[in-house]
Amino acid sequence: MARIGVFVCWCGSNIAETVDSPAVAAYARTLPSVVVARDYRYTCSEPGQRMITDAIREYGLTGVLVASCSPRMHEATFRKTAATVGLNPYMLEMANIREHCSWVHTDREKATAKAKDLVRLMVEKLRRNRPLAPIVVPVTQRVMVVGAGIAGIQVALDVAAAGYEVVLVERKPSIGGHMAQLDETFPTLDCSQCILTPRMVDIMQSDKIKLYTYAEVESVDGYIGNFNVKVRKKARSVDVDKCTGCGDCFNNCMSRNKISVPERVSVAESMDQEMKNTLDVILEPATGEHGMLISVLQDIQKKYNYLPPDALRYTSERLNVPLSRTYGLARFYNSFSLTPRGKNLVRVCMGTACHVKGAGLILQALERLLDVKAGETTEDGDFTLEPVRCLGCCGLAPVMTINDDLYGAVTQAKLPKILERYRKQAPAAVTPGGTDQTAPSDVMAGETVDA
Amino acid sequence: MAEQTSPPTAHHVGRAQLLVCAGTGCVSGRSLKVREALLEEIDKRGLKDEVKIVATGCQGFCAQGPIMIFQPDGIFYQKLKPEDVPLLVEEHLIKGRPVEKFMYVPSAGEPPIPKLSDIDFFNKQRLIVLRNRGLIDPEKIDEYIGREGYQALAKVLASMTPEEVIDEMTRSGLRGRGGAGFPTGVKWGFTRKAPGDDKCIICNADEGDPGAFMDRSIIESDPFSVLEGMAIGAYAIGASHGYVYIREEYPLAMERLHIAIDQAREYGLLGEDIFGCGLNFDISVFRGAGAFVCGEETSLISSLEGRMPEPRVRPPFPAQSGVWNMPTNINNVETWANVPVIMRRGAEWFSSIGTDTSKGTKVFSVVGNVNNTGLVEVPMGTTLREIVFGIGGGIPNGRKFKAVQTGGPSGGCIPASLLDLTIDYERLGEVGSIMGSGGLIVMDERTCMVDVARYFLEFLVDESCGKCTPCREGVAQMHGILERICAGQGRDDDIEMLIELAEYVKDSSLCALGGTAPNPVLSTLKYFRDEYTAHIADGKCPAGVCKALIQYSISADACKGCTKCARVCPVGAITGAKKQPHTLDRSKCIKCGACYESCSFDAVLVE
Ligand SMILES: Cc1cc2nc3c(=O)[nH]c(=O)nc-3n(C[C@H](O)[C@H](O)[C@H](O)COP(=O)(O)O)c2cc1C
Repeated sequence: MARIGVFVCWCGSNIAETVDSPAVAAYARTLPSVVVARDYRYTCSEPGQRMITDAIREYGLTGVLVASCSPRMHEATFRKTAATVGLNPYMLEMANIREHCSWVHTDREKATAKAKDLVRLMVEKLRRNRPLAPIVVPVTQRVMVVGAGIAGIQVALDVAAAGYEVVLVERKPSIGGHMAQLDETFPTLDCSQCILTPRMVDIMQSDKIKLYTYAEVESVDGYIGNFNVKVRKKARSVDVDKCTGCGDCFNNCMSRNKISVPERVSVAESMDQEMKNTLDVILEPATGEHGMLISVLQDIQKKYNYLPPDALRYTSERLNVPLSRTYGLARFYNSFSLTPRGKNLVRVCMGTACHVKGAGLILQALERLLDVKAGETTEDGDFTLEPVRCLGCCGLAPVMTINDDLYGAVTQAKLPKILERYRKQAPAAVTPGGTDQTAPSDVMAGETVDA
Repeated sequence: MAEQTSPPTAHHVGRAQLLVCAGTGCVSGRSLKVREALLEEIDKRGLKDEVKIVATGCQGFCAQGPIMIFQPDGIFYQKLKPEDVPLLVEEHLIKGRPVEKFMYVPSAGEPPIPKLSDIDFFNKQRLIVLRNRGLIDPEKIDEYIGREGYQALAKVLASMTPEEVIDEMTRSGLRGRGGAGFPTGVKWGFTRKAPGDDKCIICNADEGDPGAFMDRSIIESDPFSVLEGMAIGAYAIGASHGYVYIREEYPLAMERLHIAIDQAREYGLLGEDIFGCGLNFDISVFRGAGAFVCGEETSLISSLEGRMPEPRVRPPFPAQSGVWNMPTNINNVETWANVPVIMRRGAEWFSSIGTDTSKGTKVFSVVGNVNNTGLVEVPMGTTLREIVFGIGGGIPNGRKFKAVQTGGPSGGCIPASLLDLTIDYERLGEVGSIMGSGGLIVMDERTCMVDVARYFLEFLVDESCGKCTPCREGVAQMHGILERICAGQGRDDDIEMLIELAEYVKDSSLCALGGTAPNPVLSTLKYFRDEYTAHIADGKCPAGVCKALIQYSISADACKGCTKCARVCPVGAITGAKKQPHTLDRSKCIKCGACYESCSFDAVLVE
């Protein structure tokens, strides 16, 4: 049976001001296996340490918990103290109720409760501790890093800079990982190549780093300081020392298995050809120009009343802009939609003037009437409901628009009638949706279209 | 009103001119149909040569639309319908008897006011920026020229050096109307002096503040004043190209701008060798795509270039490196529209208007719970009381004034105790708000200030670009707390937490969007803390807005049994016989407020 003693420190006022140390000690006494619990002003002082050794003797303790500061401060102190009276030093544990508790909290009640939790946890640990004896084992001072993406590369460089040998293993023929495939990185949009390439060069130049590319870890056994790792180097059939990286072999390889570089598939062939023709007209003036992306997207949206995925892909390809940027812009601006919109676009102004005149309730009423949530399209494709920031018609608040028609001073009572006008005109046969959707924008204006 | 007395001279015609407002507000009330009906009626009566009908830009009195001014008598007609036209023509044009029933009535029971110049809404304003509003057809450059348009550019090109122009601007004391109030002349000087072969100027017409429409209205009613201002700026700064960055929600303004640019090009007032003085300057229009942050200058530049519209750290300032790395000068629409008048009438004249630190006038969109909603231009230093009660005509339905909100999401709410505050950049800053772009939203006792703070933060959470953490995460946390308070789940320490977060967000955000984001919360906390505590401690929303904290009921005494509420209730929670008091079943009520909104007898109660 474990016999545990708990010593809760005040650390002057450092702990005691925020944690009720006597209360924690009293609580400790209620815990299983605890036979004695005390609180004391400075446990690390001479008398404090003596209190521990005396208690070990008096109560025949098999484990001691000191609830005080970080183990980094005094774990060694207390373990040595305990050892002087014959307690196995590893049977002394610490609960950090200062750095982890009193210093970071202000609410005394809650901090005390947390200190109790910490004490309970450590008592449970002590109940399971076994006496340990220190042993000495030789350590191989070499580090293996598996995976040479940006993280692996940075770790390898840091460890090498600290003076240790590094073995860096990468499954692919070249290093860099995902970072090498990115254009810019979140959230600062820094150029990822500018971050990556200097580090790749550093790896090659470091005499502390041994790089195995096109190699895979097959097995790992052993333990910390003494691992045995089996790495399989795949047949490369290239003498790496002589290779200049000219790429001729790669380009001229007859085999289908072109190493690891995915082939770019142009969307031009697989996409709807009518859409391609339409886009060609829109994209023509923008090709080779800067800064036309947004107006191009506006034109596409006008044509299709949303931005179809293929249109975005084709735009990126033709304008030679990364798809990530095109999508990024399309998602950033409120006026672009990535899903098809209904035949009638109902926009409710959420400007401040409209807000104070009940625009929120108008929007909710429309949600009920159309049975959609804001931003969605009705099942029959007749209406899309969108809140907008401000239509700048604040004098008429609350305001909504349907297509190009503006309605001022709307009330909930007027809504059903207003919507009815557009329902009647809605042609049954034109269903928006799908990438082959070619509903011209004038259908959106609520005009009658022959079914 | 001094600037608005003489009617257009360019096409002066016979007996009468009918100025029909064709601003966005009036158009939505079918003012174009009214104009068609007028044309038809006048044709029918053979008056075509004697009467001229002009479609003007926004006249500012949007709530009364469609409106029309009958010149030379200066009679103001409002809320016209196409059906009213025959009567109007018969009575006023033929018989010479102005028609009372279409005139403005300040409040029920009072006699109508026939003349525009006698209506408080108009005669208390001083028009500099809006000098041509309602007087010219914004689609005809001749009418602009007829009102002294392009005289300023001619004077500048013929007799002033660029340095003299900048000096004049600086001495005029004009400060940016886009929000921050930076001295315009000084900014021009920076861009002029920045090294670079070519320079660029931008007109910021993104007008992202919800509740503001000054810039839209200026462009819709007088686009040429902006173009002329930009041409003067281009000369002073040494720029060969200008952009107008305009938000896509403004189709009519965009159309007028395009028309104006085409006409200016045709007249040689844009393009190569303007006025034969060797100035080359042209303007393109760039359409925004709906993102508030694009109004911020560095973000706007990124957007123009087709990059992610995220703000960046300044310096370098746009004046050093802007669009395509050219030194770039950005000014707001209203700032540009001030330029021609300043150049024509001189810095001394301009700086005689306004207060010590803020010169000239400011255009405000006075909206919300106020009788005369619309666009007003007043000298800097006018009191809030004058704007809300003098020009604005006070609060409708006899309700009590609670606050005005200025400066959009970066601004704050100003309580009734500060109604005598004289408006200028400094005074507004001192009370925890900002001038901003000029949105001025009046709130009455039925507006919940916690809900207003929540509303602005919701806006900002959506519009934060996400680049810097304090704004992206901090504002979202603050919004979460406000949502909780409005839902009746506020915690005791929520107010302290809001204040603590506000300080962090303020100090550490990258651009002013985050830097000013806490203002709506801090200012409402400063003046309306009791409303916060009512939500948190008592579980009550005193203004009757926050759904989770309110209940509707019908007062049996006040209810006349008109059945209107029962008809509008979407869930059938209201029952009652005709002419008998109705009752509301709270177990069915979804608190949509439809009954409250529709009751004409104030019989629906909210608590
Ligand atoms: C988040 C944010 C939004 C802004 N929105 C606008 C705007 O819609 N219109 C505007 O003119 N200025 C806006 N500004 C201010 C501009 O950055 C810039 O200061 C202004 O266009 C300069 O013109 P001015 O000196 O004529 O005021 C905004 C600033 C911030 C931080």
